[in-house]
Formats: sequence, C-alpha cells, structure tokens
Amino acid sequence: MKLRSLLLRAAAISALLTACTPGGGGGGGGDGKSFEFWSFSAINQKLTVDAYQAKRPDIRIKLTEVGTSTETAQSLTTALAGGKVPDLVLIQGDNLPQFVEQPQNFVDLRTLGADEIKGDYLDWVWKQSVAKDGEVLGIPTDVGGMAVAYRTDLFAAAGLPTDREAVSALWPTWDAFIETGKRYKQATGKAFTDNAATSVFYQAVNQVSEKYHSADRKLVYDTNPQVKAAFDLGIKAATAGITSGQSSFESAWSTGMAQGQYAAVSAPSWMLNSIRSTAPDTKGKWDIAKIPGGSGNWGGSYLAIPKRAKNPQAAWEYVKEMQSPQGQLEHFARVGALPSTPSVYQDSKLTGEKDPFFSGAPTGKIYTDSLLGLKPFYIGPDSAAIGQEFLNAITNVEQSGGNPATAWDDALRNIKTAIGE
Amino acid sequence: MTVTLSPPLDTAPPPPKARKTMGLGERLSAYAYIAPFFLIFGVFGLFPFAFTFYVALFDWNPIGDQVFIGFDNFVRMFGDPRFWNAAGNTVSIWALSTVPQLLLALVLAHVLNHARLRFALFFRMSVLVPYITSVAATAIVFVQLFDRDYGLLNWLLGFVGVEPIDFVQSTWGSHLLIATMVMWRWFGYTTLLYLASLQSVPRSVFEAAAIDGAGPWQRFRHITVPSLRPVIIFTVVTSTIGGLQIFTEPLLIASGAPLTCGAVRQCQTLTLFLYEQGFGQFEFGYGSAVGVALFVMVVVIAAINYLLSTRIKADR
Repeated sequence: MKLRSLLLRAAAISALLTACTPGGGGGGGGDGKSFEFWSFSAINQKLTVDAYQAKRPDIRIKLTEVGTSTETAQSLTTALAGGKVPDLVLIQGDNLPQFVEQPQNFVDLRTLGADEIKGDYLDWVWKQSVAKDGEVLGIPTDVGGMAVAYRTDLFAAAGLPTDREAVSALWPTWDAFIETGKRYKQATGKAFTDNAATSVFYQAVNQVSEKYHSADRKLVYDTNPQVKAAFDLGIKAATAGITSGQSSFESAWSTGMAQGQYAAVSAPSWMLNSIRSTAPDTKGKWDIAKIPGGSGNWGGSYLAIPKRAKNPQAAWEYVKEMQSPQGQLEHFARVGALPSTPSVYQDSKLTGEKDPFFSGAPTGKIYTDSLLGLKPFYIGPDSAAIGQEFLNAITNVEQSGGNPATAWDDALRNIKTAIGE
Repeated sequence: MTVTLSPPLDTAPPPPKARKTMGLGERLSAYAYIAPFFLIFGVFGLFPFAFTFYVALFDWNPIGDQVFIGFDNFVRMFGDPRFWNAAGNTVSIWALSTVPQLLLALVLAHVLNHARLRFALFFRMSVLVPYITSVAATAIVFVQLFDRDYGLLNWLLGFVGVEPIDFVQSTWGSHLLIATMVMWRWFGYTTLLYLASLQSVPRSVFEAAAIDGAGPWQRFRHITVPSLRPVIIFTVVTSTIGGLQIFTEPLLIASGAPLTCGAVRQCQTLTLFLYEQGFGQFEFGYGSAVGVALFVMVVVIAAINYLLSTRIKADR
C-alpha cells in the first residue's frame, strides 16, 4: 500500500510539525531516580546498562533500542521537534553535526561538569561535539579506528605474505595498497578488494588534517588538495580493475564476502562485527593489518542529554560512571567498542584482547594504534551529503561505466546541487 | 436478477408524519456515527495535506529555525536536475509496470473466468498471494534473482551467451527490476477486480457467442473487454496514482545507497527524492515542495485519465 505508507509518513511529519517549539521549555521535573535511554539496536548496549544497574540498584533505566544509528537520529529529530524526548540518547558521529548545529536542543554538559572529565578523552574526538559557542553537547562513548581485514588463505594462494606485520608492510601508502591489489589480481584473476568508494576513498579522506571544511569552518571540499588526492586514489583503484564492484552492505557484497570474491576489505573497528555476521563460515581465515597511511578514524558515537529531559542529573551520573576510562575499558571487554579514552590504551585488558575470528589478531592494540596522533578536523552539517556525492561519483565510475576523467567535476556539480551552494 | 433488487412491499417508506417527529439528537446522530472516520482523516489526512503546502513556503529545519522564503523552494526545484531525474524515473517505472500489469491481469481474468477451468477457486486465490506478501520479502527475493554475480536471471542469460548484467547499477535494469516487483505485487489484485466484474456478465452471453461461432479471441475482444470497461478505467486511474508514489521497492533494492536508489540516482523516484530531502537531509520545506509537485502531477494525470475515459464512454 504505497498510498497508505505515504499517508503514514505525512502523519509522522504532521505530528512533528504540530508542536514545533524546538528547545522550548526547560528540563528537569523527573524523580531523579530513573531515566530513559535511547540507543541503537545490535550493539549490546543492554550489557552495559545491566552493569550500571548492578552498581546502582536504586536507579531505574528504561533502555529503548530504537533501530540503526540513522533511525535513532531520525527519531531523535522528531522527538526534539515536539515529542517526548529521552533523558539520554546515543548519537552516531555521522549524524552528530546536524545536532551540534542546533545546540539549543541539548543540555550544555559543561553545566553538569563536563569540563572536569574533558582531559580523559581524545581531544579531536571531544571537539566534534562542541558547538560554536563552546557548548559541549555529547560525551564520546567510542571511536572507530581503522585497519584492513584480509583473508590469509586467499593471500597465501596468491603468493602474498600472510603474517599481519608483513602484510602491513606491503602497503605503507594507498598507492602501495593498489599495487598490491594488482599483484593479487595478476596471480589469481580475482578482485582484491570489495569496492573503491568505501574501501579506498572513504578511508583515505578520513586520514586528512582538513576535510571538507577549513579550520574556520568554511567549505573547502572543492579546493582542498587532500580531498582531491583521496578522490584520485578512489578513481585509481576503481579503474585498476582490482575491485569486485560491490557496494558495502549490499546483498551482493555480503555474498561476495562469504564466497571469498575479494580478499581484503577496509575495516573500521565496527566493521569486524559485520564480517563476523556476514561470513560466519570464514572464521579463522581472516587477519587484520594496518590501514595504509597508518592512522585514521571512522565512526564512533556520543551520548547527549536533550534540553527537555526530565531526569538530566540521573542520566549524567550514568554517563560519568560508564564513560569514564575504566567504564569504557569494561565496555570494550563486553562488546568490543573501542574506548575514546587514551589512558587505557596501554591497559593489558585492551592490548591483550585477541580475536579468534581474525586469527587471534590483537584488535584492541591494532585499532588504538591507528587513533594516536590524529588531528581534529571540523565536520559540518553538510559533510555527510558531500561525502555521499564523492562516493557516488566513484561508484559510478566503478560500477556504472562513468567517465573517470569527468568524475571529479561531476561530483562537485552534484555537491553544489545537494547542499544548495 | 433484478427482481431481488427491488424492495419488498412490506418495507415501504414510512408515512411522512414519522419524519416530523424526529428529534434534533436523532438528526445529528448520523453525523456522530460517521465522525470517527472524519476526525481521524482530518488529523492524519487533511491537516498534514494542507500543512504541506504551508511548510513548502519555508526553509524549515525541524529542530532549528523556520524561515519564510516564499516560492524559493519551487524555483530551486524546477532548476534541480535531481528532481527532473526522479520525475523521469517515476514515469518510466510507472509505464514499465502498469501497462504490462493491466494487460496480464486482463488475460488472466479472462482465463480464470473460463467455465471449464478446474480448481478455479485455487487459481483465483493463488493470484492474490503476491499481494499479501510483504514488499520487503519480495524485494529480497527479486534482488537475488536479478543479482549480478549469483542471480538466477544472469545464470540463465549466460546460457545464451549474454554477459552478466548489473541490473541495480544500470538505469534501465533497475527500472525493469522495480517494474517487475510492482507488477508481481499488483497483478493478482487487478486480476481479481477484473474477475469480479467479469462474473457479473451472464455466462449465457459467452455461451451464446460461442454457439454463434465466436472464437476465444473474439469473445475476449467483444465481450470481456467491453464489459470490463468501467473497471479498466478504475484500475488505470488507481495504478497511475500508485505508480507515481512508488517508494518501497526502490528504497529496498540498492542497499548501498538506499535513499538515492544507487550511486547516480538511477532509480530514485519522486517519493524517494521527497523522503531523501525530508528525512535524509532534514530539509522539510524543500521536501514538502516536492510533495506539492507530486500532488499536482497526480491531479493532472487523474484529470487526463478522467477526460480520456469519458471520451471513450461517449464514443461508444
């Protein structure tokens, strides 16, 4: 019923619009002994909530797993515009800028004491949730360090090294990564990596010191040589014939992974779970090497407290307890999310973690190594749209026969349309 | 047949006197009975509908400022290649799905109405199965059938020497895929509508025609089609309106870039574009403007349909 679904959406919009007083009304007024927490599904948040519950039996937590990170952000938008807001909400990094742009919707966490714990977190991660007048809107719960997951059996068959140190040494740069891909292709006739857009461009463009905006928050995506260089790498990989042309998370991509159609895939830390669930039969055939370029971050989430929350204090106590360096370390042990607190990066609980699915790779160590020495860059509300158009342009060359020579100009034109500049 | 339709004598209309004694409450009660629908329709149908026109005049950020900008959204829309691309895709997918669907339903209804068909009830019920299957489930199956590397269709095409086709990534391929899914879902429903209408045609008419020497094609052409004319017009109008609002199928086939239905928006329909702008980019004003444009298109096409169909009737 297409008509009905349209009506339903119209109804959702109207519900959203009827009570449009963003940020209106103060918070508080709750009993202080309970709070409502919106999180994503499939990230095992319940384990950490239960752990807190055990420490603080006097607090009642109502955890709602809203859906994917995008769905959670959409629900939050609706709620902020006029519905019932949660006391605590998890926001994924990609969705964060749109909320940071409208700080009046959230509690400035400095009023609750965020400044005291600021030093615990990676500074470039912390800065992403700071609004223009310095309001702190979110506490970073985890980060998404970068690495490459590769199939040891397929590498061996192609005559490539399989040891993770030796493999890391194969590709100090993205150019070397593409060269390795050509060697693999020559030896086996098969694709080396899944796709150029996500596995090359989107990684490379997150390793810059300045992305789509300059330090003073002006748009520079069209003139920044670092962006152009990342884009050219993507096009180079797309035209080198080393990818299997399967967009990440599409059904063909999943099948391709299970069937070993490609041997390497760029894997931010959260990707490991996708690999486990997408290709469970390949357990033990994977290993993890360093990302070309050595470091980078993609992903990570933040906890925020909406302005109209009824129990901001109870929510903040949870944040302080569970997002402390020790709390994040325990969370890592439970669900594998990388801490955003560098003080625990040397802790043996983190460095000693070995993952049997990935041939016993020390995931904690590999990923936290990729996070050190990173520079903060500003992510604006248009960043997601800009990134998407760049991805699309590369995918077009890779999968739909687009012209690589005009891809950059096409992307810039599409971005201008998309962000209305 | 008509005898049963005329009212029995003992329920003749009450004498006029009774009408005078009806109190105000009794008069109003009828409105109370129909009120629930109209209240809900007002809240979830009429109000959002009217409000869309209002929001379309704003640069409307759901959690930020709402700035009145007049018709700027519409100016932007008419100059937006993404809008025209979506409009073109919508029309293309609509044509690819509706025309074959209605023809197929017509033929199927004719066959299912055949007097000598065995297990008629089974077949008549079976055609409705795709309609009651969830779109998501249908999408999963069809995307796999049309898959580039492991799809059944490409496997079969391989036997006649055709290179694997990447249906989702190509424009015509993705349109074909979506049109097939839409057709699959709706042909049974349309068939049943036709069949119901056909069954009101006395079987004796078909038998008489057969005795007079009319072949199957002549019976189809001269009895089935003319007697279905009103319901054909109805289905053309409804499937056109439905076709302009195709949303779920394109959303589900390109899971890598769902809101644009692929990297180059090759199968993004108007409703999907609306959704992308409204809930992907949170540009509610612009999304509403697209909604208004969609509304105008539906009205225009419905009007053309109406004019054409009344002409057809007049021509008879």
